[in-house]
Amino acid sequence: MGAKKENNDDEMDEKVKKYLRGEAANLEGLKDKKLKGQLAVREDLYGKSAKTAAKIEKWLLPSEGGYLEAEGIEKTWRIKQESIAREIDISSSKNQYDIVLPELGPYTLDFTSNGRYMAAAGRKGHLAIVDMKTLNLIKEIQVKETVRDVVYLHNELFFAVAQKKYPYIYNRDGTELHCLKEHGAVLRLQFLKNHFLLASINKFGQLHYQDVTMGEMVGNFRTGLGRTDVMQVNPFNGVVALGHSSGTVTMWKPTSSVPLVKMLCHPGPVSSLAFHPNGHLMATSGKENKIKIWDLRKFEVIQTMPGHAKTLNFSQKGLLAAGTGSFIKVLADFSGSQNYNSYMTHSMAKGYQVGKVLFRPYEDVLGIGHSMGWSSILIPGSGEPNFDSWVANPFETSKQRREKEVHSLLDKLPPETIMLDPTKVGTVRAPQKKEKPTKKEIEAEMEAAIETAKNTDFKKKTKGRNKPSKRAKKRQEMIERAKKPLLEQQIQEHETSRKKQKTNPEIEMPKSLQRFVRQKAP
Amino acid sequence: MAVKKRKERAVGGESGNSKKFKKYSNSKGPMKKNKNDTRKKGKGPRLPSALRTELDRLDPKIASDSDDGIDLDVGNDVYEYEEEVPQEESRKNRRFDPVENYDYELPEDFEDENVPSDDEDDDGDFGVGGNKGSRNDDVDASDGDEEEDDERHLRMLQGVTGMSTDAFGGKKKRNSVVISEAHPESEDNPTRDVLEGDSHITLQDLLDPIQGKAGYSKLRKRVQHMDRKSTSVQAPLPKVDREKLERMAVYEHSKKDITKWEHLVKRNREAPTVFFGGDVDLGFSTVGAIASEFEPRTEFEKKIASLVYDDKVMEAHKADGSKLLELNKISEEDYMKHRDHVAKMRSLLFRHEMKQKRIKKIKSKTYHRLKNKDKLKVESAEMLMDPEAAKEQARKQEFKRAEERMTLKHKNKSKWARRILERGLNAQDEGTRAAMAEQLHQHALLTRKINTVKDSSSSSDSSSDDDDEGSNEDRASELLEKAKEKTLKVLEDDEELPNSGVLSLPFMVRGLKKRREEAIEEAKLALQEYEQLEGTNDAENSKPATASGRRVFGRANNEVPDSNKKTKTDNKMKMDNYYGNSDSEGDLEAKANVNIEGGKRNDVEKDVGPNYDRKEAADVSIFKNFDDNGDPGSKTTYEVAIFASDSWRKMKSENGVDKNAKKLQQVKEAIVHNKDMEEGEEDSDSESEQMVDGILSSAPKESYELPSQSELIRHAFAGDDVEEEFEKDKQEILNEENPEPDKPVLLPGWGQWTHVQQKKGLPWWMLKEHEDAKRKREESLKKRKDAQLKHVIISEKVDKKAEKLQTKSLPYPFTSKELFEQSMRMPIGSESNPETAIRSLNRPEVMKKPGVIIKPIKFVEMHHHEKSEDNKRSGQKQKKNKSKGASGKNKKQSN
Repeated sequence: MGAKKENNDDEMDEKVKKYLRGEAANLEGLKDKKLKGQLAVREDLYGKSAKTAAKIEKWLLPSEGGYLEAEGIEKTWRIKQESIAREIDISSSKNQYDIVLPELGPYTLDFTSNGRYMAAAGRKGHLAIVDMKTLNLIKEIQVKETVRDVVYLHNELFFAVAQKKYPYIYNRDGTELHCLKEHGAVLRLQFLKNHFLLASINKFGQLHYQDVTMGEMVGNFRTGLGRTDVMQVNPFNGVVALGHSSGTVTMWKPTSSVPLVKMLCHPGPVSSLAFHPNGHLMATSGKENKIKIWDLRKFEVIQTMPGHAKTLNFSQKGLLAAGTGSFIKVLADFSGSQNYNSYMTHSMAKGYQVGKVLFRPYEDVLGIGHSMGWSSILIPGSGEPNFDSWVANPFETSKQRREKEVHSLLDKLPPETIMLDPTKVGTVRAPQKKEKPTKKEIEAEMEAAIETAKNTDFKKKTKGRNKPSKRAKKRQEMIERAKKPLLEQQIQEHETSRKKQKTNPEIEMPKSLQRFVRQKAP
Repeated sequence: MAVKKRKERAVGGESGNSKKFKKYSNSKGPMKKNKNDTRKKGKGPRLPSALRTELDRLDPKIASDSDDGIDLDVGNDVYEYEEEVPQEESRKNRRFDPVENYDYELPEDFEDENVPSDDEDDDGDFGVGGNKGSRNDDVDASDGDEEEDDERHLRMLQGVTGMSTDAFGGKKKRNSVVISEAHPESEDNPTRDVLEGDSHITLQDLLDPIQGKAGYSKLRKRVQHMDRKSTSVQAPLPKVDREKLERMAVYEHSKKDITKWEHLVKRNREAPTVFFGGDVDLGFSTVGAIASEFEPRTEFEKKIASLVYDDKVMEAHKADGSKLLELNKISEEDYMKHRDHVAKMRSLLFRHEMKQKRIKKIKSKTYHRLKNKDKLKVESAEMLMDPEAAKEQARKQEFKRAEERMTLKHKNKSKWARRILERGLNAQDEGTRAAMAEQLHQHALLTRKINTVKDSSSSSDSSSDDDDEGSNEDRASELLEKAKEKTLKVLEDDEELPNSGVLSLPFMVRGLKKRREEAIEEAKLALQEYEQLEGTNDAENSKPATASGRRVFGRANNEVPDSNKKTKTDNKMKMDNYYGNSDSEGDLEAKANVNIEGGKRNDVEKDVGPNYDRKEAADVSIFKNFDDNGDPGSKTTYEVAIFASDSWRKMKSENGVDKNAKKLQQVKEAIVHNKDMEEGEEDSDSESEQMVDGILSSAPKESYELPSQSELIRHAFAGDDVEEEFEKDKQEILNEENPEPDKPVLLPGWGQWTHVQQKKGLPWWMLKEHEDAKRKREESLKKRKDAQLKHVIISEKVDKKAEKLQTKSLPYPFTSKELFEQSMRMPIGSESNPETAIRSLNRPEVMKKPGVIIKPIKFVEMHHHEKSEDNKRSGQKQKKNKSKGASGKNKKQSN
């Protein structure tokens, strides 16, 4: 009994630590009593908050994600979907199905962030919206041209489709709302839901960012690395990663025209790319038959595995699905050592070409878009068992959805908040190398120089030289000398600015003749 | 400290004022002299020598004693010439009257303090240098007094010991004199002592006369007792010191007073939030509570109250209460009946309401017209049935008519009508004109003389209804005819163009022509419309006769060819449409075909599936062939490869199209099982939609050859130079972000003066500068995040826009960056904290309800244990932190 309790305490401590988000400030060396008091109070509150959060987690979020456990000689990857189907309840078995739509080409999928709705897009212009809870087809449209990608915007009401020439935005009823001509022929679309940005890569290798709230084009960058359809958003920081044919992966943000990071991941072309939801892991696959897992904090490879992957996807719980040909492999790391092992496999009917694998949020379901329609299989332990209705609610009512839309719009992050390490927001900026001193700083410097000059002691000179008048004079001289470089600098700056000014405007005319000066064409 | 000072001063002052001592000598009470003082007596400064000699001359008897400087006998002689006696002294003399002196027990300085005199101020000023000048201060005087006391004491001791008999004798006389003194001493009336020179009155002196009388022994004992007990009274402190002391005392006191607030202030200061106006009594919240407070004030109210609260009434009410309750009883059946009735009525009412609402909503004009008609009919029927109602109706009508006659309401008198008339009736649209006419009609009706109400109303109703319908149509047709005629006229008569004037100008002419043409066209259109309308009118007219005549047929005729055309085009469309209507027979056929061909297709698929990757590889290889003459713009392999495959495929598709031209049916079949189309589309964006038709036949024919092993290997290692390229790239970026320093260059002519200089080469400082710059660059390169990562380039570019998200300097109370960042690590929003914690995390510093007056802080006694707790708490905080830190460290270590 006692041991159990202790165990519980340990567990709680762990949880509390998680919610404390790092070490408390060490106030011991702090001299400022007031600040010390304030910080102590704050820390106290943080501790309380973390404790309640831990308690809530313990008592109100009781669902724990399960996973397959092999007994004895059994191997988890030998377990077939059929054998899983025998063990599970009816509602879960509903999630095992194949939709065969042979005509309209390979399908690509996207789920809403709450996992309730799915948009499926066939290459030949077939768009379908399905309610995954009831498996009702909400809307089906045919756009009659090539469709390369589909992506949901902030909720199920709107989705963007990359079509032959331009991406379009449709609403749930299949009404075309916008045609985003500036993007061009887009190969891949991604939506950054915290920033309300639609990111696209077109066939000329141009990366576009468009704010879907105001319609403003936030960024338009030439990658200069050729055509690619490998694009993924890092859900942790909103950085968009592109995989290129030169084997490099570049990471972009909408406020910088050069990639934040450019890393050589594979010697051959990068075929797909996926991010772990915590943002620290990236999986890439190259055409040279390698799948690599990277630590994005150190930009180092953690693990290299053999195998092709046409598509990769991380689940909410960190399972990695890789699809190639008609074969799907799911890798998992339950030990937490970031060593991914084979967890489950699934092979489709022969001849099905898997185009996209995508885990359904908040469900242990993997959606597969392939050349003959789409399928859904069960991957135990892939989805997050407890949902947070602040983040995404699979049981959302329309009223809640409306509320949430407004809230998320109010909480919309500006595009400049996208950076490699978003925890840097609100911290002290590191001093920069060459920052021009402000006028105030220059003045302060001068003042300080004068002050030091004034306070210097003179040597005792011989009788004649030590006259007060002479000393005063000397002191004055010293002050002047201290001032001189600063003044010179100022003068120089002034001159340069004047020169600039001079070069800009045309020849000065007398006032009476100014009206005859030819106006520059606007 | 203060005491010491005073003593010193006393010593300092004594010699200077020695001459005056004599004057107070008799005024002083029986005081003991401090031994110290006696000892110090000799130390005091002496009299100036001139004075001393004078003294000697005057009184050779004490000359030997003069060393002491303080001889009382000397004093009177010295003061002989000093006529004027300071006022205060004389006063003092009087004050220290022997009689008063007996009860005198308070310390001397007490009295002195209370004397309101200028001297007190002077005292402050001259306290130190008191012996300057001839004026006396109180301090000095008191010092002198002490001296006197000593002497008196000595003498008293003598008396006690019985050695002072001779002294008694001398004093007796004087004593009597003292008693007989008639006037209070003053400046003009100096005391006898002063006059006589002998000034020693002791208590003994006073006691002696009453020796033997009743109570003497008692008194003497008391005196002796007092003598024994009494101590010397010290001189008051100087004012500065005294005030200082006072201030100190006050400070102590006030400190104590104020420190009692300390805990309150501390508590408020340390509290993260201060609450103001926690509970405010807003008074009564209910009407009942307010009413219960009511007190009768006016006479009337009082009367009522007395009646209401009359004891008898109250009692009666109480007694009656039960009876009344009994009366209130209703049988269950009755109640049920009543309830049912009420429910029924309610539901009826509700239904009626709903119905009314629905009816009210109806906007249809025809409905209302019909309704009005119905109403009228009902009324007329009523009139027929009921003479009462008829009378009523007649009266109403009469009233209306009378009113109309009086007001002429429906004539053209109203504001609206006048305005319309002003503008001209012709300028108005149909509606207004009709309304106007209607009004006039109304007027006519109402003002017309009528024989009987009944006749007119019934007949007019029926007739007008019929007339309206008929006449409307007639009128319409007439109007149409008229319009037609007019338009025809317009069409017929060609306006002659004017030959002169402005209108004859060529552009005017052109404009006129144009307008005319437009007009003609319009007219034609109008004409057509008229004809149509006429036609419909006719049709309507002929409705009863021919159920659906011309009109229907006419339209049908028009439509039929259209629809035929449409169907035709539809069919065509279907042909074009690659997934056409499934209704058509052709499609059905196609489907059948598909089924038939299913097996074949599967075979094809089997081929396609495993070769998928191979095909890609093949693409690459194709590209490789193209690479030599590939376009320079595209870097990547794929685009070119795509072009290659495109062209190839396009050719095939063209073939397919040709076939389509021959056999549409076949095309359809092909479309349906067009399997590989995605590939084509993926690769070729330039292809049109119709490309769909293309691959159909060709796709199955595509054959995939297994790429050779060498090709595969080449593909696998195709990126070998990728690494080099990347490195080059990185170097470039590094150079861009940290530019390499320029190589030192000599100016032409530099160092060419002589031979020696030329040999030396570049000057040392240039080299040094270059070295420095190089070193700097190296260092900055080393500092880069990607310095250790060979295959990673992390941009060091500063994002100007993101700069505003970080602080440039530490915010005020913080002094260390770590502390600040740690304090900022926790989000305090509602998204990341439990509901119970958000409030306290986001509470403002001051909480105040609006409209609440903030009262000044009130003193609350704090209990002792609370205080100690407070202290403990502050201690605990630190301890906790310590332990926290320690545990954190431990954890780290364990990790």
